[in-house]
Amino acid sequence: MRMIEGGHGFAGDPRAVGGVGGHIGAPHSVVGQRVVRHDARDKVQAATAYAGDWAMPGMLHGVVVRSPYPSARIRGIDTTKAAAMRGVACVLTARDVPRNTLMTDVPGQTTTVGPLRAKLHVLAEDRVRHQGEPVALVAAETLEQARDAADAVEVDYEPRPGVFDAEQALAPDAPKVHDEGNLLAHWRIARGDVDAAFAGAAVVVEGEYRTQFVDSAYLEPETGVAWIDSDGVITIRLSTQVIEHFRDVADVLDVPQNRVRVIGAYLGGGFGGKEDVTVEVYLGLLAVKTGRPVKMVWTRQESLLARAKRHPYRLRYRTAAAKTGEILAQDVELLGDSGAYAYLSALVLLYSTVTACGPYRVPAARVQARVAYTNNPPTSAMRGFGAMQTVFGYESQMDRVARALGLPPADVRKANALRRGDTLPVGQVIETHCALPELIDRAWAGLGAPTPPRAPHAKVGRGLACNLQPYGRIVWLHDWASAWVGFEMDGSLVVRCGCPDVGGGQASSLCQIAAEVLGVPIDRISVHIADSALTPLAGTTTASRQLYMSGNATLKASGELREQILGVAAKLLETSVADVDLAGGEVRAADGRTMPLRQVLAACARMGVPRSHLAVYHAPAGEPVDLTKGSGKIFPDYTFGCHAVELEVDTETGRVRLLKHVAAHDVGRAINPMSVEGQIEGGAVQGLGYAMMEEVVLEDGINLTTSFASYLIPTTVDVPDVEAIVLESGEGLGPFGARGIGEPPIGPPAAAVANAIEDATGARVTRLPMTPERVARALRLLT
Amino acid sequence: MTTRLLINGRARDVDVEPHRTLLEVLRDTLGIFDAKEGCNEGVCGACTVLLDGRPVSSCLVLAVATRGKPITTVRGLERDGDLHPLQDAFLRHGAVQCGFCTPGMLLTAYAFVEAHPHPDRAAIREALEGNLCRCTGYTKIVDAVEDYARNRCG
Amino acid sequence: MQPFEYAAPASVDEALALLARHGADAKVLAGGQSLVPLLNYRLARPRFVVDVNDLPLDEIRVDAGRVRLGALVRHSTLAASAVVARECPLLTEAAALIGNVRVRSLGTVGGSLAHADPAAELPLAMVALDARFELRSARGSRTVEVRDFFSGYLTTVLRPDELLTSVDAPPTRGAGTAVEEFSRRPGDFALVAVAAIVTIDRQGRVENARVAIGGIDGVPRRIPAVENALRGEPPATDRIARAAELARAEVTPQSDALASGEYRTLLAGVLTKRALARAVSRAMAVPA
Ligand SMILES: Cc1cc2nc3c(=O)[nH]c(=O)nc-3n(C[C@H](O)[C@H](O)[C@H](O)COP(=O)(O)OP(=O)(O)OC[C@H]3O[C@@H](n4cnc5c(N)ncnc54)[C@H](O)[C@@H]3O)c2cc1C
Ligand code: FES
Ligand code: FES
Repeated sequence: MRMIEGGHGFAGDPRAVGGVGGHIGAPHSVVGQRVVRHDARDKVQAATAYAGDWAMPGMLHGVVVRSPYPSARIRGIDTTKAAAMRGVACVLTARDVPRNTLMTDVPGQTTTVGPLRAKLHVLAEDRVRHQGEPVALVAAETLEQARDAADAVEVDYEPRPGVFDAEQALAPDAPKVHDEGNLLAHWRIARGDVDAAFAGAAVVVEGEYRTQFVDSAYLEPETGVAWIDSDGVITIRLSTQVIEHFRDVADVLDVPQNRVRVIGAYLGGGFGGKEDVTVEVYLGLLAVKTGRPVKMVWTRQESLLARAKRHPYRLRYRTAAAKTGEILAQDVELLGDSGAYAYLSALVLLYSTVTACGPYRVPAARVQARVAYTNNPPTSAMRGFGAMQTVFGYESQMDRVARALGLPPADVRKANALRRGDTLPVGQVIETHCALPELIDRAWAGLGAPTPPRAPHAKVGRGLACNLQPYGRIVWLHDWASAWVGFEMDGSLVVRCGCPDVGGGQASSLCQIAAEVLGVPIDRISVHIADSALTPLAGTTTASRQLYMSGNATLKASGELREQILGVAAKLLETSVADVDLAGGEVRAADGRTMPLRQVLAACARMGVPRSHLAVYHAPAGEPVDLTKGSGKIFPDYTFGCHAVELEVDTETGRVRLLKHVAAHDVGRAINPMSVEGQIEGGAVQGLGYAMMEEVVLEDGINLTTSFASYLIPTTVDVPDVEAIVLESGEGLGPFGARGIGEPPIGPPAAAVANAIEDATGARVTRLPMTPERVARALRLLT
Repeated sequence: MTTRLLINGRARDVDVEPHRTLLEVLRDTLGIFDAKEGCNEGVCGACTVLLDGRPVSSCLVLAVATRGKPITTVRGLERDGDLHPLQDAFLRHGAVQCGFCTPGMLLTAYAFVEAHPHPDRAAIREALEGNLCRCTGYTKIVDAVEDYARNRCG
Repeated sequence: MQPFEYAAPASVDEALALLARHGADAKVLAGGQSLVPLLNYRLARPRFVVDVNDLPLDEIRVDAGRVRLGALVRHSTLAASAVVARECPLLTEAAALIGNVRVRSLGTVGGSLAHADPAAELPLAMVALDARFELRSARGSRTVEVRDFFSGYLTTVLRPDELLTSVDAPPTRGAGTAVEEFSRRPGDFALVAVAAIVTIDRQGRVENARVAIGGIDGVPRRIPAVENALRGEPPATDRIARAAELARAEVTPQSDALASGEYRTLLAGVLTKRALARAVSRAMAVPA
C-alpha cells in the first residue's frame, strides 16, 4: 500500500516553506535554547488556574454514582429518596440522557477508523460490566450533599457471573461481556517463511511474559466546571488532552456541535488517561439539566477505581537466531485485556502488532495479536499506547538470544538494528535515519565505572534495552492541525492553537517556533491554547504528535506570515525580499538599515496586507492497511531509543535498588533541550514505576488498589538520577527536523531492568511489576 | 466558628466549620488555590503548606486547629513580588512540567534547606520522598534544590 | 467529612471532662495523621472532636530511671531528641522511619500508640522496650504494661473516656538496639518490621535479647523462641542466622494486595537476622 502525499505542497516536508527554508539550516537563536517556559513561571507561583482552581457563582457540585459490582444486571434504579434530599438539584439516570451512546472513536479525529468504532453508554442502562461503571449523576449545592444523595440512590443490582482474565474470556463457555462475544479485535502479520527460518536457526529462544494493569496516576484527578454562557453555549472548562470532545458532548446532549465549547485548562498531567472522555459529558448533562454552573472533581479513589488503565498483556515469543546473533525470525502471540469496554483497545493492539519485533531487521515474522473483553476496568490509551508492552517481550528475548549464543547483548542489538531503507515486518519502509548503534554505545558508556556491591548478599548487574515508538497518528487517519499567528500593532505577537498543554511545554514550544521564524523575543509572545471555540483546532495532545503537528502548523503559519511582512518591509526599504530579515523585533536589511516592526505593521494595515496567518498542516496520509493481506505504511515515522541501567539485587529479599539510569534517544531536533530532557527523565521514571512497583491489583474485578498508599508510584528515593542523552539527527518530520519524544522514553526501562537482574543474579523475571516478591521467587527464595 | 488564620503573614478571620480541612478552607472558602488536592490522604504532597514553618498535609489538618499559627503557602515564598531563589532555581533547571506538584515540592524543599543548609543529593531525595511527581522523574527537581542550597550559602 | 462539634481544651482535666461527657461519641484528635484520613473517607463519624494539641503533654524527660514521653511528642521531635538518642536510640531510629516528613511534623507518639496499627514503628518499639502506658480519665488514672495495652488489630484497652497521657520505658544504655523494616516503597507502612535489643555479658555472650515483630499479626509481639535461642550464646553470625530462622516458624502472616503471607514469612527471617546482627554489633561497641 503506498502512502499518499497530503494534498498540500507543504505536507511531508516542513522545510519546503518558502522564505524560511534558508532559515532552518541556519544557527537558531531561539530553537534549541534552554528556554524557561512561560507556564513554568506561572506554575512556581501557583498562578496557573488548573481545572479545579476555577469556581463560578452559584455553582453546584456533581458526583457520579458508580457500580460496586464488576458484573450485574440492573433491575431498577430508584432516585426518589436522593432527589428529595436537602440541597439536591437533580439526579440523572440513563433515561435522562438525550443520546445515551458515546462513541469512543479516535478522539478528536475527523475521519473515523470505521470498523474500530467503539461505543459505550454514558450511564449504564440494564447492565454494568465493571466495578466503578457510572450509573447515575447527582448535582447538589454542596459536595457533601451531593455525596450523601449519591449514597442514597437505590440501585437494584442482580450480580452476574463475570470473566476476569483475557484468556478465560476467549474460552467458548465464558460469560459474554458483550453480546457480540468477547474477542474485540485481532491483528495478524505474516512475513517471510517463518517455519523455515526456525528450522535453520542456531538457537531458538522461547519466552512468555506478562504485564499488568497500570494507572496514569497523574497528580491532578479528572476535574472540570461547566456553565451555560450568556449566549447559550454550553461551556466546559476541564483538564483534558482532547478539546475536540466538545463534539461528543454535543452528540450526547443532542444539540448542534457548535453549541458546545470546551476550554482546556493547563493539565496537572495526562499520560493518555485524559484522552478519552472524562467529566465533560457528565458536566454538560448536569449544567443543561439544572441551568446552573456545575463542578465535578473525581477523588483519587474514584480515579484509581474507574479510569481506563493501560492494557495488561500476555506476550509469547519464539525467536530464531543464527550463530552470529542475526535474528532470523520472530513468532509472537499477544493477548491483551480490554476490560469491559472497547475504548481504544483495537488501536492499542495495532501499535503492539506493528512494534512486536522491535527496532530490528526481522526477515520472517508471524505476529498474532488479540484483545478480549473482560469484566475488569476498561483499558485504553496510556503513554506508549501498546508499543511499550511489547518492549518487555522483544528486549527480554534479545538478551536471551545473546546469552544463549555467548555474545554481548549490545553487539547483538547493533548487528540487527534497523537502518534507513529496511522494512518492518508490517511492510513499512524506514525512511529516516535510525541511530540505534550510536544510542546503544552512548547509553552503555554512560553507566561509567561499575558500582561495587554494598553487602555480601548484594549483587550488582547491568542491562540495556532499545525501542521504537511511532509518533503522530496512523497515516490513514488523515491527521491535521491548525494554528494562527498574528502581530499586534506594537509588534507583540499572538499565537493561537487548539493544542492542550499536558505539562510537556507544548504551548511554550509553539512560542519558540514562532519566535525563531519571526524574530520576535519570546517574552513578546502570548499564546492562547485549547479553546474549541476560539483557537484553531489542532487535535489531541497524545500519540507524541503535538510538537510534530501543531509545531508544523505554527511553523507554517509563521513562515507564511513572515513572507507577508517581509514583502511589505522590502517595499518600504526599496529592496528585495531576499535582502530583509526579521530579528530582535525589527526588520533588518542586508545593507545594515533597520526599521521598527511597528512601522511595517502600520504599513501593512494601510496597504491591506494581513498581519496574521492561519495555517493547516496535513500529515502524510495513506489508505487503511489490511495487515492480513498486504501491508505498508502505518505510521509517519518512529523515534528510537536505548536505555542502560545498573542495579543491585538483595539476594535475601529480592529487593532491587536502582543505581544508575542512562536514557538515550534520537529526538531529531531538540526545540527546547530542557523540555526534551524532562520528557526523557520523566518517561524513564514512569517506565521504572511500571518495571518495579505499579500494579492495579484486581480480585475478580474488584480493585484492591484505590489509594495512593496501595497503588504505588515511584518517589524520589525509589529511582536514581536519570541521565538523558539527546541525539539530534535532524531526521524527524516535525518542525526543524524534530521527532516526537513524549512517549518513547517509557518503553525501555522494564526490559533493561529485567536484563540487569539476570546479569546480576542469573535469574530471569518475566512478569511485571518486578516486585521484591517476584524477584525473590525468581531467585527461588520462595517455593 | 470564626477562626483567625495567619496566611502568608496576613490575618484572615474566617467563618470555619470544624470539620473543614485547611485545604478545603484555603481553596473553597478563601479562593487560595496555592495548595492542590491530589489524594486527600496525606500521601502525595500536592497540598503541602508550612505550619509553624514545618511542612504538613493541609488535607489532613483541620482548619480550626491551625488558629493563630503561621501558615505559608507557595506565594508566601516570594519577596516583594520577586521570585524566591528556590523558585528561580526550579525555573532555570526545568524542574516544572505540569506543575501540579510544584507548590508542595517548593515548600518541602524550602523547609528542608532551612533546617539542613548543606545537603547532598541523597539527603535531598530523602527529604522530598513524600512529595510525588508524576512528570519530571525528579532529577531536575533535585538539581534545582541542590543548586539553590549551594548558592544560598555562597 | 461529616460535621461535628469541636473543642480544644487547655487543660487535661477539661479534656477528660469532655471525654466523660461525650463518651463513645467523641474522638480525641492529636496529630490527625490517622484520624483525619478516616474522617475524610467518612470511615469515622464522631459527633464531637476533642483536640488535645493544646495540652501540656509534649515533654520528653528522664524520670525515676525511665524515659518518659508525653503523648503529644511529635514523631519529628522524637527523632531529633538528644536525650532519646542517648537513652533509648531504638526510639530515635523507629521515629525516623515513620511515614514522610509531613506525617512526622504532626503525628504524635500517643496517636500512633492509640491507633495501634500492626505495622507501625512505635508500637513495635514499645513492645521491644517493655514500655508502660499512663492512661487517665475523669475517674482516675491507671498504668498499663505494654503486653496488656494492644488488644487486637487497631484496638487497645483505651476506653472511650480515657486519654493516653504518657508512655515510659527503661533506658537501653549498655545494650545494642536496631529496627529493620521492609516496605514496598520507603516511607510507606512496613510489610514487616523487627526491633531487637541485645546486651552482651562480660564473657562476650548474649546476656539478654528482646526481639519484637510487627506487620504480621493484629498486634506487634515478641518472639520468645528467637530470644531464648540466643540467650547465653556467643553472638556469632551463624548463631544469629540460626536463631533468626526460628522467627519464620513463629509467624503465619496474611496476604494482601502488597505482599503474600509467604513472602512476609521470608522477610520475618531476614529482618530478624539483620536487626539482631546490627544490635549485636552495637552492643559490642558499647564501652564496658
Ligand atoms: C501518608 C501517611 C503515612 C504514614 N506512614 C506511617 C508509618 O510508616 N509508620 C507509622 O507508624 N505511622 C504512619 N502513619 C501514621 C502516623 O504515624 C500517625 O501520626 C499516627 O498513627 C497517629 O498519630 P496522630 O498523632 O496523628 O493521631 P491521630 O490521627 O490524631 O489519632 C489517631 C487515633 O488515636 C486516638 N488518639 C490520639 N491521641 C490519643 C491520646 N493521647 N489518647 C487516646 N487516644 C488518642 C485518636 O482518637 C484516633 O483514634 C502514616 C500516616 C500517613 C498519613
Ligand atoms: S492531597 Fe494532601 S497529601 Fe495528597
Ligand atoms: S510536574 Fe507534574 S506532577 Fe510534578
